[in-house]
Amino acid sequence: MSRGKKNPRRRLTSIVALFYFLTFALLALRDGNVIGYSLAVAVPAVILIGAYVLPRLFPIDQLLLSLTNFLCALGVLILYSTNPANAIQHALTYGLGLLAMVFCIYLVRVVSSWSRLIWLLVPLSLALLALPPLVGREINGAKNWIFLGSLSLQPSEMVKVALILILAHFLSRRSLLPLLGIVVACLALLMLQRDLGTALLYFLTSLLLFWIASGNLPVTLAGLACGAGGAWWGYRHFAHVRQRVAIWQDPWQDELGAGYQLVQSLTAIASGGIFGVGLGLGSPTSIPIHTSDFIFAVICEQFGMFFGGCVLLMFAALICRGAMIAASARTGFQGLLAMGATLLLGLQTLLIIGGVLKIIPLTGVTLPFVSYGGTSLVASMCLVGLIQGVGSLNEDHLQEDLHLAMLHP
Amino acid sequence: MKQQRYRYKIVALLLSLALVGLAVWGGWNLAHYSTRWFSRATNTRLTAQKKAVTAGDILDRNGILLATTKEGRREYRDTSADRAALVHLLGDRQGRIANAVESFQSGYLYGYQSSLLDSVYRLIRKTDRVGNTLTLTIDAELCTAIQRAFSGHRETEGHSGAAVVINYRTGEVLALLSLPNFDPDQATESLIATLDQPYWNRATQALYPPGSTFKIVTTAALLERDPDAVNRQFTCEGHLDLSDTFSVHDFQNAVHGKLTLRQAFLHSCNCVYAAAALELGPDALRREARQFAFGDNFLFRDLVVANSVYPSGAQTQEALAASGYGQSAIAATPMHLCLMAAAVANQGVMPEPRLLRSVRSVSGVAVLPWSSSTVGSVCTRETAAALQSMMKDVVQGGGSGSRASVTTLDIRGKTGTAESTVQGRKVNYGWFVGFNAQPDLPFALCVLTENIAEGETGGTTSALIAKDIFTYMKNYPERVQ
Repeated sequence: MSRGKKNPRRRLTSIVALFYFLTFALLALRDGNVIGYSLAVAVPAVILIGAYVLPRLFPIDQLLLSLTNFLCALGVLILYSTNPANAIQHALTYGLGLLAMVFCIYLVRVVSSWSRLIWLLVPLSLALLALPPLVGREINGAKNWIFLGSLSLQPSEMVKVALILILAHFLSRRSLLPLLGIVVACLALLMLQRDLGTALLYFLTSLLLFWIASGNLPVTLAGLACGAGGAWWGYRHFAHVRQRVAIWQDPWQDELGAGYQLVQSLTAIASGGIFGVGLGLGSPTSIPIHTSDFIFAVICEQFGMFFGGCVLLMFAALICRGAMIAASARTGFQGLLAMGATLLLGLQTLLIIGGVLKIIPLTGVTLPFVSYGGTSLVASMCLVGLIQGVGSLNEDHLQEDLHLAMLHP
Repeated sequence: MKQQRYRYKIVALLLSLALVGLAVWGGWNLAHYSTRWFSRATNTRLTAQKKAVTAGDILDRNGILLATTKEGRREYRDTSADRAALVHLLGDRQGRIANAVESFQSGYLYGYQSSLLDSVYRLIRKTDRVGNTLTLTIDAELCTAIQRAFSGHRETEGHSGAAVVINYRTGEVLALLSLPNFDPDQATESLIATLDQPYWNRATQALYPPGSTFKIVTTAALLERDPDAVNRQFTCEGHLDLSDTFSVHDFQNAVHGKLTLRQAFLHSCNCVYAAAALELGPDALRREARQFAFGDNFLFRDLVVANSVYPSGAQTQEALAASGYGQSAIAATPMHLCLMAAAVANQGVMPEPRLLRSVRSVSGVAVLPWSSSTVGSVCTRETAAALQSMMKDVVQGGGSGSRASVTTLDIRGKTGTAESTVQGRKVNYGWFVGFNAQPDLPFALCVLTENIAEGETGGTTSALIAKDIFTYMKNYPERVQ
């Protein structure tokens, strides 16, 4: 890898680091808050150190790394403006997430026989998903949290990573029946938790990845029809689903009651306008769940819809990068692994931002990297780790080919 | 494997496009709904802003001060009549009138998104935080004059009603009045209780059957299909029986005999228009109504106007026939019917109604530059010209709108008398829509008088008000131009 001063990806890292140094410094100067000053140093430092150290361990995709860093740090920044304590928590999880990412990269690079690991992951995932209905607690209509002392965990987030590994494994071996059983079992367990947003995400990811792997359009469409049937069933049987749909159709019907969240979200977006009211300004705390589900509305209020659109473009860039890595993978498994992770992150972004902007009913999933929520952030970082792992293997193979070509011209 | 890679790219492309689509949708919503979302009473940002900032002044087009803040209290015009005439436009202190300027434009009035320049200006001049100054397109004196006109005629005195006047070239709203109204300084509970829904802005929020004014749309549908239809022969036998229980009659059971479409329009013959609607069929008439913005989601920048209704789905023969003269489930606001007349006057292009002429910050910078826009083209230039000529006959050729004519002006229009049942009681509405065809006074108007007496028509009630409005324009051209 060239490390010259003109390397544009290096420059991108510097710009991202500088952006966060300046923004945190501005907020810290306003508040005179120690947390602000320490974040102004720590966040750019993590970004720079990561960009310096990681390429020495294995070939890493710098653009993908910069995008990931930018989005995670954006979460820290937005959370700081509403509650500095949350920002510290998010920053620490971000550090942990980077380690998890490195672990996943190594995992992809080191493991050569996945079968045993996968057969271990399947019962583990199902057991994790079965936990919340047994010992969990209900938050926002879904019972999808478990508590270990002071630590709260969301199993459905952890299982996302396992799901991608499982999907890639079975789809690359074309053993569809066990896969169907596993996915249906996962969906049923999620339904039990009444976590329909995540169930929808799992379903769409599995179905689309199946289509990508097989190209079998009739079966995919049949699956989609089953999904539509399931959605209808959910609409008929869950009161909170019917309510979500009603809110989506007209949030102002009950703007102080059921529609309150969405109305406040739209009001925040409207008051931000095109260029926003400014960093740390506005009244983001008037939006319910402004730390996770509605964090995009806070971004739009402070930075404006223009910047919000730029954030969407960053997610689009992340997806394109992921798909490129998947397309240059050497084995079917690796390709599906990178594509599955990309697909999951992309669909999750679509679902939550579509909900916040009132295009689709709210599904209550998190915005990857940005939303507050430890398990979600670490899971997203693990998914990026899978993509990066495949990318690094591609790079290794490329170097090998070049080497061979030089030895045997 | 190769095909699989191809699918990777397809899915990535689709996901990326969907994300870009979200951004575009967000921007579109911001452009069309941000004022509507921001100005809601539930917006806590606004509540906080109102405590910290003094609201800006509101002026009319001639610089008359309509609203200002003195010692923390919002003050409106000096006399009671002047205040009442503007109450639905500006709003009251309690915010009981929905979407009036004081609430709908609160983002501008309280300077929510003030620029850096204003902050610097405030630092230098050490002034308090003051919102932007709004100049409206309204002529406040005309609003008062219309209110006086309503009480000046025996046929309209004490009636509920509405009037809208707009410039059909630019879309500027010159006057807007809803009756009954009240003086916000003397609005006691007991006074409000005696009035018929005084908080309701009838000009923009209330939907009425358009009656014979809808014949403009039916005529346009006939003309768009056959440009020579103006002189086509029809026969009116005084009644058109569609079933044992439903037959179309004309006002006072008149029998018009053989007549052309032009004459049918002049005499507002229901039988001919019912037959025409049946001949056009449900789809052609619905398509023309859509062209004239019936069923549109109105997202005007400065005004919240209720969406007009044209019945959807299958129609019975009776309903279709009644649609021809605006008596089925069709419903429209006075503002929309004014826009309809404006579109005819403006060569078939419907202007977007505007209420804000300019918004200036304390430092004198124009926050919102003036721009006019259109709703769209409602009919061809030729159809508009034919309609203009037919509407001329209605006022100047001995038709039902004769009472609206003003010497030296070129007034054209259409009257309407619509029937409706409100709480089991039959109510008649008198309409007049029209415009002045002279280019130096390019104004269109719509006047509605509610609950007119038996035997009265739009031509004997609202047309009188229209005449007074046009006379005002003739006498004070400098105020309205």
